[in-house]
Amino acid sequence: MIEIHGLTKVFGSFKAIDRLDLRVEPGEIFGFLGPNGAGKTTTVKILSGIMRPTSGRVSVAGFDLDSAPLEAKRRLAYIPDEPFVYPKLTGWEFLRFMGDLYGVDPDAQRREIPKLLEQFDLAAQSGELLESYSHGMKQKLLIASVLLRKPKVVLFDEPTVGLDPRSIRRFKTLLAEIAAAGAAVFMCTHILDMAEKLCTSIGVLNAGQLIARGTVHEVKLLSKAPSSATLEEAFLALTEDAAGGLRPAV
Amino acid sequence: MLLLLLKRKALTARNTLSSLRGWQLKKNIVFLCTGLAMLAALYGGFWRLLSYLEGVQLIGPMLSWKLTSMVLLMTFSMVIVSSIIISMTTLYYSADLKFLFSCPLDLRSLFMDKALETVFYSSWTLGLAILPFIIALGRVKALGFGFYPAYALLVVPFVLLAGAAGIIFSMLVMYFFPSSKTRDVTWLLGSLSVGFVYVAFRFSRPEQLLRPDSLQVVAQYVQYLQTPTAPYLPSWWVTKAMIAYSAANWGAFALYAAVLLLAAAAVYYAIYLMSGKFYMRGFSGAQSSPRFYGTRKERPEQRLAAAHPRYAALLTMYWKDRLMLLRDARYWSQIILIFALILVYLFSVRQLPLDTPDLKSFISFLNVGVAGFVVSAIGLRFTFPAISLEGDSYWLLKAAPLTAASVMREKLLVSAVPSLIIGLVLITVSNHLLHADLFISVLSTFTIVVASVAISVMGIGLGASFPDFKVENIHQLESSYGGFIYMACAMGYLSLIVALEAWPVQMHFAERFGRHNPWDLRAVVFCAVSFALLTLAVTVIPWKLGRRNLERHEI
Repeated sequence: MIEIHGLTKVFGSFKAIDRLDLRVEPGEIFGFLGPNGAGKTTTVKILSGIMRPTSGRVSVAGFDLDSAPLEAKRRLAYIPDEPFVYPKLTGWEFLRFMGDLYGVDPDAQRREIPKLLEQFDLAAQSGELLESYSHGMKQKLLIASVLLRKPKVVLFDEPTVGLDPRSIRRFKTLLAEIAAAGAAVFMCTHILDMAEKLCTSIGVLNAGQLIARGTVHEVKLLSKAPSSATLEEAFLALTEDAAGGLRPAV
Repeated sequence: MLLLLLKRKALTARNTLSSLRGWQLKKNIVFLCTGLAMLAALYGGFWRLLSYLEGVQLIGPMLSWKLTSMVLLMTFSMVIVSSIIISMTTLYYSADLKFLFSCPLDLRSLFMDKALETVFYSSWTLGLAILPFIIALGRVKALGFGFYPAYALLVVPFVLLAGAAGIIFSMLVMYFFPSSKTRDVTWLLGSLSVGFVYVAFRFSRPEQLLRPDSLQVVAQYVQYLQTPTAPYLPSWWVTKAMIAYSAANWGAFALYAAVLLLAAAAVYYAIYLMSGKFYMRGFSGAQSSPRFYGTRKERPEQRLAAAHPRYAALLTMYWKDRLMLLRDARYWSQIILIFALILVYLFSVRQLPLDTPDLKSFISFLNVGVAGFVVSAIGLRFTFPAISLEGDSYWLLKAAPLTAASVMREKLLVSAVPSLIIGLVLITVSNHLLHADLFISVLSTFTIVVASVAISVMGIGLGASFPDFKVENIHQLESSYGGFIYMACAMGYLSLIVALEAWPVQMHFAERFGRHNPWDLRAVVFCAVSFALLTLAVTVIPWKLGRRNLERHEI
């Protein structure tokens, strides 16, 4: 579970996130949408513990990120949009490193890593250095590292960037499996079509404020778009309204 | 186009400075003041030295100019070594190169932009360090204010020529060996060659002529002083230009200045022309990665972690860092150069012209400071940058269930052991070569053990206080404010512990010379306690500051 209360983040005089309140239940796939610069990545970074809020409270899997950061981080996994990994480790070594870092049993690692490498079509390159991997391969490797440690909360920031169509389809299946296993999934994405099909609930962030929250249907209603409208149309209507100063009630 | 590229750097620098606010601004002002204070102290030391040399009967002026030529030669050599190390990264692996190559930019202008960046990063620290010497030289010889703009006119082509060595080396290696595997091997062979030449040069004992008593006739010594130091190198041309300036021989000054400027212009024009042919192929080759076939075998650290889960995180980070270091050719080339440095250091100790056992023991004591300086300098390259060298991948550790302290402890483990080994080798071998007595041997060995660990802790702490995960080469970290502060603190610490230990050492020699009751127990206790407190301060304070800063650091 993810719980956010009154989250605010200020950079100098710029307020990137303004009093955000949010809750994502176990098993839920939450899509976090918003225009560029809305504050989505900042929110995810705060949830992952690599950034601190200016004010507010965040708890992940029941542990407060401020008072019990290690316990929270043990239970969460974060996949950034830019998959920076160690260039001089091989794919196999990287997965072993992540497994060891998160305390996954070595025998379980030796069993699961070959399966994950096969699943993500990385087995043939698992002995090569990561500096030779493409962006998409690194992204798949990071997703594999998430599955290795079975976290309670998973944070994705633009997870499908660089993935080929087969991998994107596989990712969608995996997302459902992760949620079905009881993890809370928090996903930032610009691919509204995927969000519409996969997410059990979505939130729309604009200029640091949450302007819509609910199921896809509820968000469409909030946007006053026609019932046949796509999520994209609803999103555009919501963010245009917000830009014009008319914020629908959340 | 080159001006456009340089303009973006000027704008970046301006925006960086103008965006400094609050704590960042105060921190930078404090460090600037500290740096200026250090330079002022260096100036004081050089002024005393040059004043002394200048005052020597008959040969004083020759001595000070000889020293100047040697300082400039040393600076020239160090800039060359620096440029060899960083040029490849700057010219072929800078983060903005892919973007710049995709732009409609003239290739030669792009290369020159990166070449000038290489020269800057390889020379600015040394240029700053030599400035107090030049100012002191101008004062001692009463050269007037005009001397300094004249020096500025000379030093620019001087550093450009030194930097050109690394630029040409990298350009040729990348052109003829575009495959990264052969390039790494060539890089290592090049480092081995530089190291070998450096060691061989030193082993040829050029200082033999520096000892007047090694020459039969005084006139030979005077002749030696008058002989050019490396006459075909720019360091000598700069020296001759300064000598001409001091003698108001404007014709000679203009001649040497012109030689420097024209040589720099010619070399860089040649580089400019060559880059059109060589750069693209080299850069294209840089995009490829070597074929590598890793194993799936269990690492010793992993087996150890399984047996001792409490240390699992530390051991995991350790094996990761160990593999990263072993597989990076740039580290190996630096290790080769460090090894050469150690060999030359020990050889120099062996060749010191010391006649009596007591003098040897005394030098052995002072050797602690010099060995400590070597350990600090190595720490500047490996220990201080350790945390920052996580680079863009640092988010993995930041998001992991790890404390900042555990990350710092692991980096300390990687750094402290080699530092300790190097310090011990330097001191124990030096003590053996100098036949130092038991007291001095024990004292100096104990001191270097403590100092090596303390300097490593300081390095990690200050590295965590001044992290920069976006740097593209180690030299940017070394020549940063943080690197400067680290060296200043390390030098200050070493100076203080040597000064503290001088007291009991003095008592020891007094006893050896037959003085009755030379030992003052209170003084010894005072020195011991002060040593302990000082060591505690230089370890605890930087460590705590670094840990706090790293905990708060946001990506």
